[in-house]
Amino acid sequence: MKGYKRIGLLIALLGLTAALGVPGDSLQAQPPRIVWVSTQLVPIQEAEFVRNEILKPFTEETGIEVEFIGAQYGELFTRLEGEARAGQGSTDLVGGLQGDFVGIAQFMDDVSDVLAGLGDRTFAAGDLQLGTLGGIQAFIPWMRATYLMMANKQALEYLPEGADLNALTYEQLVAWGQALQEATGEPKLGIPAGPRSLLHRFVHGYAYPSFTGSTVKRFLSDEAVTMWEFLRDELWPQVHPAVATADAMDTLLLEGTVWVAWDHSARLKQAPVERPEDFVAFPAPAGPYGRGFINILAGLGIPKTAPNRDAAAQLIEYLTRPETQVKILQGVGFFPSVEEAAGATPPGALKVLAEGVSAQASASDALPALIPGGLGPRGGDFGAIYRDTFIRIVINGEDIPTVLRQQGELLQELFQETGAACPLPDPADEQPCSVEGL
Amino acid sequence: MAPVEAPVGTHRPRPLRQRILGTDTLLPYWLLLPSVLYLVLFFVIPLSQAIVVAFQDGAGNWTLENFPKLRRWDFNFLPALKWTFLLALVIVPLQLVTALLIALLVNTRFRGSQLFLYVCAVPLGLSDLAAGLIWYGIFADRGFLNSLLYTLGLIDAPITILTPDERWWLFGAVVVAEHWRATAIVLVVLVAGLQMISKDYLESAEVLGANRWQRLWYVVLPLLRPSLQAALIIRTIFAFEIFAVVLALAGDFLPVLAERAYNWYFFRQNLRFASVYAVIILAISLIFTVLYLVFLRVREEERR
Repeated sequence: MKGYKRIGLLIALLGLTAALGVPGDSLQAQPPRIVWVSTQLVPIQEAEFVRNEILKPFTEETGIEVEFIGAQYGELFTRLEGEARAGQGSTDLVGGLQGDFVGIAQFMDDVSDVLAGLGDRTFAAGDLQLGTLGGIQAFIPWMRATYLMMANKQALEYLPEGADLNALTYEQLVAWGQALQEATGEPKLGIPAGPRSLLHRFVHGYAYPSFTGSTVKRFLSDEAVTMWEFLRDELWPQVHPAVATADAMDTLLLEGTVWVAWDHSARLKQAPVERPEDFVAFPAPAGPYGRGFINILAGLGIPKTAPNRDAAAQLIEYLTRPETQVKILQGVGFFPSVEEAAGATPPGALKVLAEGVSAQASASDALPALIPGGLGPRGGDFGAIYRDTFIRIVINGEDIPTVLRQQGELLQELFQETGAACPLPDPADEQPCSVEGL
Repeated sequence: MAPVEAPVGTHRPRPLRQRILGTDTLLPYWLLLPSVLYLVLFFVIPLSQAIVVAFQDGAGNWTLENFPKLRRWDFNFLPALKWTFLLALVIVPLQLVTALLIALLVNTRFRGSQLFLYVCAVPLGLSDLAAGLIWYGIFADRGFLNSLLYTLGLIDAPITILTPDERWWLFGAVVVAEHWRATAIVLVVLVAGLQMISKDYLESAEVLGANRWQRLWYVVLPLLRPSLQAALIIRTIFAFEIFAVVLALAGDFLPVLAERAYNWYFFRQNLRFASVYAVIILAISLIFTVLYLVFLRVREEERR
């Protein structure tokens, strides 16, 4: 019995060695040591979490040692470029944002075969589409962050007739806000507008795509004018004035100052963490062009020069397991890319959020928008243009066409000077991006 | 053994200190050196760099282009100028009057006046951001002020004071908070100044029949002029640098110059525009300092 076991082990080892193509004496073969370079989970605490909680069990299970290296995008690019030039490399697996992969797609291998091996997991079609770069599957969706809505359950009874929380429109959101104001005597919607808030993400990634189907190109279109009139005259009167100094909505939700709010998942999280029974998360509303939302998607890809491709594929399989994805959500707050994981999340705050995030990503009218890459240090200018436009029109009451023209010129200048491509949902192949009508 | 006395007139070696530092006339300069080095390292060099950056374009050519360009990119440029000036215009005189009143009161040396002075000086020990947050806690929707009014039955629902729809309310909140926070520095300077005024002057005035008011107006205030000048210069320069209190209470809905500089530097990573703002603040501070020095000139005989 013992002998058989030993022979079995030997055969397994031989098989593994053959499969991984490790050179040298096959009888002395050890499981490979692979290198995973990631632009995500770089901060020390997060990296420690990855090493101790995620990779240690992987090594115990497979025997594959993983060296996890955190890197900025620039370092990642230089590294892969050097390896590609040398024709051989040490990087086996790359973790990064969708925007990172756009820049390094030329060095990446097609991972369609790895994806095919993950048949038991459901990825959002939009995510897989984002992973298709230069005609290949450049990465497999790994995890995401996003901005979404959260409501105090008290507010649900005022939801307008026939409105579905998971398929809300902007009109219905306003009607809901009106009903809440009638019932409570004050505006109850919340969109953060403080100096360090993410208001600009709401404007360029949610309102603009939903109302114009565009972020940059139709910045001063007629649809945009209609949208601004709507935001100023319909939506803003339902928003509580206390948002002006608020950078995150969780505090206002917990206080009860606002009952329905939009914000980044991490800036909503504290509300259900403190009172998981009281809050529900749901997708952002839809406009005439669909349900615009920003999908901050991270993926996993394998460089063409990876020395241990099969071991890297094994790690991808491990990282996209629902239970691993739940672990990542619990440890560092990134949401699963695999639909099965939302159901596997234990009850509590994270489940509340995960369900909302998942519902938003897989909505039938989903219109994913992206934060533009390629702006470098001027990414702040991009956000500020949208924030300033909002403040000038909605809060200061300035003339819409005048403001749009002035701000549109700045937007145009920004893209011309940086040569950056249009962010989704604008055509990603237009580079540099330009504003129509200038 | 009797001590051996050095014979008078023999040459003694110079003390070690003198040998290292040179003659006594050089000593003050040696003592100044550390602070001069500090100023050069942390003020003069960064300041000159900021000025250079503000007047150069990306290619290193000298230009004035950055100023109109900033106006185009930052719609808050003119409002920031406006609000900064208005805040200084309201806050500085208000603080001067309050500080003077408290200083005169303390100077009467009533029982417990020292304790009173310490209590008034407490805000000196607070960072301006902390002070801003304290007042945010008072003015917020569910803050102390609204709770108090509600408890007293004066309101049915919280009043939103800190709202961009009412810029003058934001302005008022900042004035109140800043008045509380930064009056103490003026107070301390004035109390010191008052204590330096010799009792003889006041007694002479009293003998000559001057009443309380006349003594204040013709004796105390003129003698206090050097302290007033110093306090005004310090406070006005700080007033044009107003920052954290505004940020805490009004976000960027009450734009001020220093907040703009911070915003461009940290969030927009634009050193050039941040430097332009820094240069503007510097220019304004310089102009006001010169104005004070000219208009509140202290005659030589008034110096002690």
